[in-house]
Amino acid sequence: MNGNNLRALTEDDMQEQVKEWLEQGKVDFFLGYKMIEGHPLPHFFTKNDLDEVDDLIPGSARYPLEKIATKIAAQQPDAKIGLLVRDCNQRALNVLYVWNQLNPERVKTISVNCCPSKLKEHADCSYLEPEKSGSYKKQVGVDNNMDLEEVEAYDQQERFTRWMYEFEKCIKCYGCRNICPVCFCKECSLEHGDLIGTGDLPPEIPIFHLVRAVHMAGRCIDCGLCEDACPVDIPLRLLYRKVNEIVVDVFDYQTGTSASQSPFNILGEQVTLEPKPISEAA
Amino acid sequence: MTIKRMTFLQNLLKFMGLEDRLHLDWISSAEAQRFVQVVTDFTEKIKELGPNPLSDERKQPKSAHGG
Repeated sequence: MNGNNLRALTEDDMQEQVKEWLEQGKVDFFLGYKMIEGHPLPHFFTKNDLDEVDDLIPGSARYPLEKIATKIAAQQPDAKIGLLVRDCNQRALNVLYVWNQLNPERVKTISVNCCPSKLKEHADCSYLEPEKSGSYKKQVGVDNNMDLEEVEAYDQQERFTRWMYEFEKCIKCYGCRNICPVCFCKECSLEHGDLIGTGDLPPEIPIFHLVRAVHMAGRCIDCGLCEDACPVDIPLRLLYRKVNEIVVDVFDYQTGTSASQSPFNILGEQVTLEPKPISEAA
Repeated sequence: MTIKRMTFLQNLLKFMGLEDRLHLDWISSAEAQRFVQVVTDFTEKIKELGPNPLSDERKQPKSAHGG
């Protein structure tokens, strides 16, 4: 646009690339965004409807497209997946590769603008300006825009009451878990009858949030979608930032950028036990 | 690994204002006196801290539909 070669990928370039991938069979489908009734929504583009690719947009909304990809890959492990990624999606993909939820050889990505920087003329992301907290929340709760140091500066009693104020608002909608790109467990502790259980409201606090926080260790890539999704504005991103800080301090592991296995994965890289033969009768 | 996981949890609990209530130690079955010492020390520490703030005033209300 201004003559330098850092020109952002235009919508046309992107659509052309996706069409090429679909036509040549490099990907079986492409996950991107399409404007539907005024909303940029995740959309599944396929070879069968190439004209539709003209509606592919970067979109300013964020959805965990990689989570959709993971669900599809669980059912069709051989599917070749193409998707649109921002920086946070890319970090989530790295975590999903590490945890063997997606095969990097079967995933092709197109990067779009994320956070603004001097190198980028514009950014396509809904999280550019975090919401401001109200004065009451600032007085008794935890401001979502705080730094970890600011929270730690409160004395122990105050930290406790402030966090409990936030957790008490929880309506147990599971939005944080459902939107989370790296929540892929088949069985979730948050719905396990003996651990937390489903129906009861309000949820058991702080155990509900702490269980989730612990499970974010070695997984959370700080995308902030949980906080975006939370209807009662619990500063989840801040809580998981602390989780990440401890993971770096204690385990020396950079979640989302390390290519090595997470220290929290209880499974090894190799199977060391001979599997039991499957009986014919079954 | 255990010590790392416990350190992780201690730090997380501290961040939300519940500190010093989680303790990890290694005691062999041959170290009865050490076991007594560790338990006594921890009991005293807990007594000093007072009751768990989660236990009394914040008792979990049961759901209306009987849960």
